[in-house]
Amino acid sequence: MATEQHADRVSPALELRGLIKDFSTGLRGLKLRAVDRLDLRVEAGQVYGLLGPNGSGKSTTIKMILGLLAPTAGHCEVFGVASTCVEARREVGYLPESPYFYRYLTGRELVRFYAELGGLHGKALAERVAEVIATVGLTAAADRRIETYSKGMLQRIGLAQAIVHHPRLLILDEPTAGVDPVGAAAITELILSLKAQGKTVLITSHLLGQIEDICDRVAILDRGRLMLEGAVRELVGRADRQALLVPTLPAAELQELRAWLESRGHTLEMVAAPKARLDQIFLDCVGKKK
Amino acid sequence: MMTRVTFSLRRTRLIAFNTVREAARQKLYGFVGVLAAAFVLGARSLRDFNFGAPELKFLADCGFGVMAFFGAALVITATAQLFFSEIENRTVLTLLAKPVWRAEFILGKFIGLAFVAGVFCTVVTLLLIQVLASREAQLLRDFPEASGLGAFVSYSNVIFAGVLQWLKLAVLAAFTLLVASFAQTQLFTVVTGFFILVIGHLQYLAQDAYARGGSWLGRGMSGLIATAFPNFQLFALADGLNVGEALPWWHVARVALYALGYIGVACGLAVVSFRQREI
Repeated sequence: MATEQHADRVSPALELRGLIKDFSTGLRGLKLRAVDRLDLRVEAGQVYGLLGPNGSGKSTTIKMILGLLAPTAGHCEVFGVASTCVEARREVGYLPESPYFYRYLTGRELVRFYAELGGLHGKALAERVAEVIATVGLTAAADRRIETYSKGMLQRIGLAQAIVHHPRLLILDEPTAGVDPVGAAAITELILSLKAQGKTVLITSHLLGQIEDICDRVAILDRGRLMLEGAVRELVGRADRQALLVPTLPAAELQELRAWLESRGHTLEMVAAPKARLDQIFLDCVGKKK
Repeated sequence: MMTRVTFSLRRTRLIAFNTVREAARQKLYGFVGVLAAAFVLGARSLRDFNFGAPELKFLADCGFGVMAFFGAALVITATAQLFFSEIENRTVLTLLAKPVWRAEFILGKFIGLAFVAGVFCTVVTLLLIQVLASREAQLLRDFPEASGLGAFVSYSNVIFAGVLQWLKLAVLAAFTLLVASFAQTQLFTVVTGFFILVIGHLQYLAQDAYARGGSWLGRGMSGLIATAFPNFQLFALADGLNVGEALPWWHVARVALYALGYIGVACGLAVVSFRQREI
């Protein structure tokens, strides 16, 4: 037991080593390599983005992490436990891409069903179900059938079922796909609050702006191979450049500033008006009303 | 700290309950149930087709025939549909992403399907008892002199026969689930399920061929079929008895054990097969 606890403390949330997945195609059994010698390490508490075009192996990788697919070769561990073991899934919450749930259940029944599968029961069950439904902002709609839910509500109830059993690792496959900007912003806020609670989040998304905003590190896959991996700040930041934001200067003063910089051996490379982000303008217009 | 996740009857029960709930919401299964009930209740209007059998025996045969036919159709289609709906709608992804053993999923599905078959058999049996009791009372009113001959109908027999029909449907559900565990399409599962039903009903022919001997290949093939497939004729004990005769309970118990053996093997193989399945 002590060894297990020690292993748990030092193990990363997720570790993939030389992970390979081949699929047989056609009658001749030709191999299609979906994931090719993938090495990844996600430390506990990080929000980690898994990026790549369609068919790059993201979903296959996620299925191997969840034990739904067996790797052809290599290792996949969740908090030091092989992902093929049922025990590993006690620590994992999963929101699939375009989730489809039992549409004849109400939101509360659905979350309760998954909570019980996750091992909750008794008084703690009812309290936890109410708590996560409130967390995702669906208390008012909790007793409505899932089939009446909008796309954004489906994603949020999906998040509720993913977090209900207190997993330490959350795997979110395209959590904002097809969701309007207000819903996407709400989901982003939820992910950041989960990070603040110390959860590890592995997220895939084609919305690179969203990934840039919330992820600590990203990995970019293409045709099953790891093309790039690193901290977002290091990847997108330019340490040798700075932007200064000031109220708009009259032309004469701008000329003075340029001359002052040149007198010290610097060059003013660019003068531009900063742009507001369209998603922020949308949220300011619509989000406040909601 | 990772604690061991052991097989849980609680999770199995949850999956079974969800399977029943999903089946209850399907209009098709309700329609099959209503159709079967209508045939049982209307059996008296078909008595012109009795082929010389006594009327009450004909009514009982009609009821058990309806139970066998509609029950088989219900069980095969429900097993295929309720299994593949989880795969095609991807609800199985979120379900198996929780700490759930695949054995719990298969057994949960089986228990849910056996429960649905049980409800169907119970309803049809109760309706049949009602039809038989009503006709028996009418006959006794019309022919009071026959009352000294004793009861026309052994209702315990009818219940035993209903239980045997349910066991047969449970065996069929287990075999269909085994096919579904590796099949790629729902259609393949349904067609194979019906083949298993037909083979099960004709299995006694393979047993006869095996007993008669012949070439080693023929003996081997018939022996294989006679062992691998259940003999569904064993579950139709009521067919060979007059309605008023008592059905020996030990015979029912032996058939029940036979059914449980096949259910255990089929579900065990389904678990092994489903564990290998890539979802």
